[in-house]
This record gives sequence, C-alpha cells and structure tokens, in this order.
Amino acid sequence: MKEKIIGIDLGTTNSCVAVLEAGAPDVITNNEGERTTPSVVAFTDTGERLVGRLAKRQAITNPEHTIASIKRQMGTDFRVNIKTDGKVREYTPEQISAMIIQKLKKDAEEHLGGKVTKAVITVPAYFNDSQRQATKDAGKIAGLEVMRIINEPTAASLAYGLDKTEEQTILVYDLGGGTFDVSILEIGEGVFEVMATDGDTHLGGDDFDHRVMDWLVEEFRKDTGIDLANDPSAMQRLKDAAEAAKMELSSRKETTINLPYITADASGPKHMEKKLTRAKFEQMIDDLLQRTIQTVDSALREAKKGAEDIDQVVLVGGSTRIPKVQELILSRIPGKINKEINSDEVVACGAAIQGGVLAGEVDEIVLLDVTPLTLSIETLGGVATPLIERNTTIPTEKTKTFTTAEDNQPAVEIHVVQGERKMATDNKSLGKFQLTGLPPAPRGIPQIDVAFNIDADGILHVAAKDKATSKSASITIKDSSRLDESEIERMQREAEEHAEEDKQKAEDIETRNRADQLVYSVEKALSDLGEKVSQDERGKIEDQLRRLKDKLSQNAPIEEIRQAIEELSKSSQHLAEEAYKQTASTAGSGETETSSGEGEEDGGDYIDAEYDDKE
Amino acid sequence: MSHEKNDAINTTQPVNMDKQQEEAMKLDLTAQDTCSAEEEETRSLIDRLKRLQAEFENYKKRVQREMGSLEERISDREILDFIPLFDNMERAFMSYSGNNDVGSFIEGIERIFAQFSQVLNHKGVAPIEVLGRRFDPAKHEALLSVESDEEENMVLEEFERGYLRNERLLRPNKVKVSRGKPKTEE
Repeated sequence: MKEKIIGIDLGTTNSCVAVLEAGAPDVITNNEGERTTPSVVAFTDTGERLVGRLAKRQAITNPEHTIASIKRQMGTDFRVNIKTDGKVREYTPEQISAMIIQKLKKDAEEHLGGKVTKAVITVPAYFNDSQRQATKDAGKIAGLEVMRIINEPTAASLAYGLDKTEEQTILVYDLGGGTFDVSILEIGEGVFEVMATDGDTHLGGDDFDHRVMDWLVEEFRKDTGIDLANDPSAMQRLKDAAEAAKMELSSRKETTINLPYITADASGPKHMEKKLTRAKFEQMIDDLLQRTIQTVDSALREAKKGAEDIDQVVLVGGSTRIPKVQELILSRIPGKINKEINSDEVVACGAAIQGGVLAGEVDEIVLLDVTPLTLSIETLGGVATPLIERNTTIPTEKTKTFTTAEDNQPAVEIHVVQGERKMATDNKSLGKFQLTGLPPAPRGIPQIDVAFNIDADGILHVAAKDKATSKSASITIKDSSRLDESEIERMQREAEEHAEEDKQKAEDIETRNRADQLVYSVEKALSDLGEKVSQDERGKIEDQLRRLKDKLSQNAPIEEIRQAIEELSKSSQHLAEEAYKQTASTAGSGETETSSGEGEEDGGDYIDAEYDDKE
Repeated sequence: MSHEKNDAINTTQPVNMDKQQEEAMKLDLTAQDTCSAEEEETRSLIDRLKRLQAEFENYKKRVQREMGSLEERISDREILDFIPLFDNMERAFMSYSGNNDVGSFIEGIERIFAQFSQVLNHKGVAPIEVLGRRFDPAKHEALLSVESDEEENMVLEEFERGYLRNERLLRPNKVKVSRGKPKTEE
C-alpha cells in the first residue's frame, strides 16, 4: 500500500488533521476523542511538554509557559523564552508550531496504524513567503516532509470539488473562533488564483459568546442586584451556557439558559433562568456581523469584482453555522453557498484531498459517478417503486421481485422512471417494455424479477424475467445519469415541495390496493368455501363486499374506503379462518403447481449459463 | 423462503416488442465486435474493479446511514435510564403540593438523589476527587490561580465537579489552584 499523505489545518485557535481514505477525506480523532485540537503548547515546571486540550486546561496556572495563537507570530523574530530548572530556553514560532504538528502526526499515526512522514499543510491566503517558509520548516522540525503548502481557502474549495468545474470565481468566508478571513479566488483548469484577501485578526465565535455572557450578567444584575462578574465559578458556568445557547440558536428559534444555584446572598440561593430568542441574539452580534460584510465588500473591491461575479461561496469556521451569517452573505452575494461539509473540518479535508492527489491515490482511484436521481418502476396504482436510490455510486445492480395485479394476467409492462416523486407520472419516463407470455396464474402468484444494472458509463439495462418460465425481456437506456444540473435541481426541488402531498397520494393508493386485495381474497374464500358459509353470513359479507367495490369504482374519499375495508375485514375474519383451515388441509398440490411451471425455455438466461461464464 | 409481499405490476394487452427494445437488441449485437480475448479480459477486470469500488462506496453510505440511526437508538436507551428519575421528581412535587410536608419532601428528594447516583454508578460514572491534591491538567481545568499558603499547584477549591467514566475523562473538575506563597522581591 502507498504511504498516506496527511492534510493539516494548522489554525490560530484550533488545528485539524485529515487523511484520504478510499477516495474520501476522513477527519482523524485525537487521543482525547476530539476532532480538532487546540493550538496551545505548554511547558510545565517538571519540564514536561503539553499540547492541545491539556495545555489549554492548565493555561491559567502557568501563563508564562503556555503559548497560544503562535500562528500570529509565524515568520517573525518573535521568540518564546521558557525558564525551567533555572535554565532559559528560547523557542522560535516554528518550533512551537512543530510541537502542535507533532501531536497531530502522532494522533494520525495511531489512527492509521503506521508511520506518517508526509503532509500537506494549509496557511492563510495572505501569508507571505517567509510565513510560508516558517510553516514549512515547522513541518520539517516535526519530522514531516511538507509536500506542499496550500492556501486555506483553496483547500476549502478543493473539499467541495470546485476545482473540477469550469472557470469560476469563489468567495471563501472563514469565521473561526478568533479570526475572520475573506478570500476571493479564481479557478480555471484546476489552478487557483487568489484575487484578494481581507480579514479581521481578532473577530470570531468567542466574541459572540462574550456578548451573550455580558447580557446574562447585566440581566442578572438588574434582577437581583448581584454582579456575577466577580465570581469565577459563576462566570465559568455562564461561559459554557452562553456557548451552548449560541449553538442551540443555530437550529432553534429560542433557548432557555437555566443555571440553578448560580450564586447566593444573605437571603439565600439565587437561580438564573433566562430565555434568549434567536432574534435577540442576532441583535446582540449584529455590529460584529456587519463588520464581516464590510470586509467582504472591501475584498470585492480589491478583486475588482461585483457581488454578481461570485459563482460560489464557501463557508469555513464554526461560526458560519449561525443562520444570520448565511442570511447576510446570501443577501449580499447571490452565488451558490457551499456549507454541507463540517465547517470546522473543511480545510483539513481539502488538504487531505491535495495529499491524496500528490500521493497518486486519487489518480489510482477511478472516479465514479453517482446516480443523481432515484430510478424506479411503475407499480399498481401508478406508484413509483424505487430500485436504485439516488446518490448510489455506479456501476451497480439491484434486483427486486414483482408480481401480477390480476388473475391470468398475460403480460407485465415495465415502465422505468427517474425522479424523487412518489407517483410515476410525476417523474421522468425513461422507457418501457413488456414481458409477455406469462402462463395463466392467480394474481400475486407469478414472480417476476426486475433487474436494474447501471454500468460505469451510466447506461442502464433493465431486464425482467418470469421465474416460472424463465422468459425474459430487457431494455437499454443510455442517458439515465446524464441530466444537466439544472434539471436535477429542479426535480429535487419539486420532490421537496410536493413531499407531503405525494406521501398522501401514495398512502391513498396503498389503501385502494389493500381494498382491492381484500375484495379479491374474500370473493375467492366465498367461492372456495361454498356451502360451508351460512346463508346469513354470506348475505352480510356480500353486502359489505358490494359496498366496498362500489366505493372503489366510484373513487370514493379514502376515509370511506378505509371504513368499508375495516367492516369487511371484521365480518370476513371468520371466513378467512375457515378458508385457511381448508387450504391447510389441501396444501401442497396447489403450491407446487405454481412454482414448478417449467414453460418454454425461450432464450431465457439460465443460471447454468452464468456458471459457464465464470470458468 | 419468506414470502414478502411483492409489488404488483399492471398490465396492458400483450404487444409486439417495441422499438426501444429492438434497438437495444441491435445494440447488443454490434457490441459483440471482434476484440481479442486479452482485451476482453482487461475490460471485464476493469468492470469488476469499478463494480467492487462502487459497491464499497455504497456500503460506506449505508454504514454511515446506519451509524446515524444506531446513535439515535443508543441515546434512546440512555434516556430511558433517566426517565424514572424524572417521574419520581414529579411524584415528589405532586406529593408536596398535596401535603405541604417539607420533611417528607426532602426525604423523597434524597431518595431520588440516591437513585440518580446509582444510575450514574451503573454507567461507570465516578466523580474525581480533587481537594487536597495536586493540579493535573489531564483531569482538571484551572479557572483561577491565586497566592496562598498552600504549596504551588495544589488545588484550593473546586468550582465544578469532574467525572470519569470507566477511567476515561468525561468532564474535568473546574478548580482554583495555588500559586504558592507571595513571592518576596527577586
């Protein structure tokens, strides 16, 4: 196996490492069970070196020997002086960064179960040559061969596969824990060019937390007259609660901050309970968000681009999950927003992809397509029954067994449709064919295997085969996966819009089919049992039977049909038991007959033939 | 063989093979052009590779979906262990609003607390003792560091309890740490 090249996002506050596994980036969980690692290094009195979460936890007890945000010093003459055992040691920013990289490397080696010697490391687009060189050196000190230094916005775009599209202009909006960056890139023929960068080195999610904390402290002071700001224990709880509230407000409109026994005064314990709405939160951070949009504007000016020139927006950093952030960007830039990949990990994922390309791994892997839309066949009542779900990687094969809808049905029509709607007619028809010559049989008995086979070129072969006679028929559809993007989007959108109504329709049909099935089996039972059913019972059942049939033929409202089904199944329950007893006593003969039907072997591909093939 | 209900396909009257079908058959014939056995083998191997890879991709997608629902079910199970505590809490309040007996209310709450501890205990959750010990960043998080008569790096106060689960850190204790005695002029 080829050696893996890991992708490292060496961040100001947090770092992340990922690796390409079977063609897809995989974020590596660190020793502490987290997917990102704080970019903090500490030296303890005993000369021990701590990196990541542990270093962060002890920062307050050891402020002189704890180093955070070393990234801000990369490429400068800044030196870290550490006094241990009376000796003073001097470290360069490269050396400190190397300690972070070393931890990431170790976590990756544990995850991969082997040595890692090569990496791709990301840097901000605005890093100059000496900052880039320093980053490269940091990698080298950590024992890694840095195969390439790439820009963070470029890595994020790679993660979304934007290098595979035609010429585009991309805006990357990166709002992290403590820094904000905007970059405008132009991509053509796989080459990224940075047109402009701008940012704010001290703006991020932590500022939003502080706004919520300040508000909580102020509200509590108004309510109780107590100032929590002097109480470190209360402040810590407030900080955790503020961050949790912020996150919750990304998916909910309102949250409650509930902190019992937050403090106490002479009159007894005090509790905090505050409701915070998303609107209120947005108002609290509005000036900060407006600042980011001004930065976007200045980056656009620098790139000499208008908002309408931006084709794609890529979101990076945890704070971009805030709905208001996305809303503001959308209102400023009408381009397409990419936000599906976890925004804390997207840069590392892109670096891992670049690593995979350099390792030749991506070349080796044949890039496979996926089916953009579900492929189904039409079944009783016009329902589209899926064989291959959308997003399935091709080539692939699926077989499902179907049956007939009527007694002695001589043929089935296989109607192949494409789309997400529940009803066949609402989807795109790809083609139809018939399988004829089915031997006479009661409905529900014949078994017809329908096989969908999409090859690597997206050509769909559909074959239907009657199990009893081995008769088969097939069709080849060439353009099953070659819809243009806008058509796919339209069909997906429509499916979403009609989801409720489609579901209702499908349920209605299901009910009608059930009614139909019930009518059939009750009629059959009545005729099979003949004299065994009392005159009285027969009369009652036939009455209800007629009512249900009428309702079906009149296309009565579904509720009425459902009711009629219930009545009939209740009164015919006894009948079913009788019928069951009878079939049980005569079983065997009937069943073997239907399943053993040999029929004409007209060109049907037999299993035997397949065995020969494999030789 | 389990007889799952198969979906039924509607019929129309039998017709002759339609055009598309004919075309498909023709296409099959033309595909049979003359290529050497070697080429044929390569082609079939490549096809097999692609299919294997696609199957793997689809497998990964399925696993991912299943992981999601598995997580959901595991958390369901965990929640079920805590619901009785909630029920009992409710009973305590109901009983108190009926009899206004503070003594029996407190006793009830104590019982519920014991039950709560038991649930956590069964789940392997144990509090981390920290007072009088040395600060350890592997288990503790320092919120404050103050001068004191205690030795440097001793934990002086616990702001929030920390927990281990089966020896793994769940949550660190939030603590106040001694910076040692006030330093005299250096």
